[in-house]
Amino acid sequence: MSVLLAMSLGLLWGFAGHTLRKRTKLSVVAVSSWLTLVAALVLPRFFHEGYLFALICTAVSYVVMSSSNRLEKLWETLVVCLICTLLVYFGQDVLVGIGGRLGTLAALSALIFIVPKVHFGLLKARRR
Amino acid sequence: MLCQHALILLPLFVATLELAIPFFPKTSGLIYLSLVTFIFIVAPKRCAIGDWRKILPSALISALGAVATFALANHLDLGPLVASAIVGLVGTFFLAEDDQLKIYLGAFVGMTSVARFPSLGLVVVAGLVGGVLWQVLNETWNGVGGRLGTIAAAAVLVVVLTLGGGL
Repeated sequence: MSVLLAMSLGLLWGFAGHTLRKRTKLSVVAVSSWLTLVAALVLPRFFHEGYLFALICTAVSYVVMSSSNRLEKLWETLVVCLICTLLVYFGQDVLVGIGGRLGTLAALSALIFIVPKVHFGLLKARRR
Repeated sequence: MLCQHALILLPLFVATLELAIPFFPKTSGLIYLSLVTFIFIVAPKRCAIGDWRKILPSALISALGAVATFALANHLDLGPLVASAIVGLVGTFFLAEDDQLKIYLGAFVGMTSVARFPSLGLVVVAGLVGGVLWQVLNETWNGVGGRLGTIAAAAVLVVVLTLGGGL
């Protein structure tokens, strides 16, 4: 149940981040900072595992900092947000206390999606 | 380019080690020794820095972000998430877009726990290392979300592995 809630929140934050990046002129740092601030202030007050959910949403806010060249469409961003949610949820014991841990997990989830995408894109281009 | 990839992959490598070391504890010392050797002997010779004049401002901005976040998180008890968000937001009001990224990178470094960095001096050093790494790794993984955090984690790990704190 907890993991389903985490996935829902991860997707919600990913959608919000994607929308803010497309519809406003906020910089990537501003978008990520706002998403982090809201997650850190709101989620721990409403959920028993609120701090973990705040960590997940913060990591997702780093995912949405990806350039539009890397993640072009909304569904691509959401897939990476979902991967990131699962990595943070199940990787809670990795790099504990090290600054940049969430960013590392966000980058890892982005690369899990982007590397095959680029690879298959190149294969398609060769076939043509 | 291979060198840059090796540096930015450092946090992922250490994360893998953390998961795997319980299975082969005798060789862990050797692995960390080779990691430190790579950081200090191989990396500086192989990794080219684009523009040396940008190093100092980049390092200072990153260190500022790290110290501000660490102080807000631990001395004002705001916690690392709120502290990094505040530093990022303040940065967006006063800095150009490229410098916003550097201060946000520093903010990630400053999210390190007191258990890892018991003194502010280590935070400053890690912040400075983060700024230098930003210049070294500027074109690596461009446009990949989480890149800043990965560079920050690499900077923190370099300091923890060499100056103390332990893994």
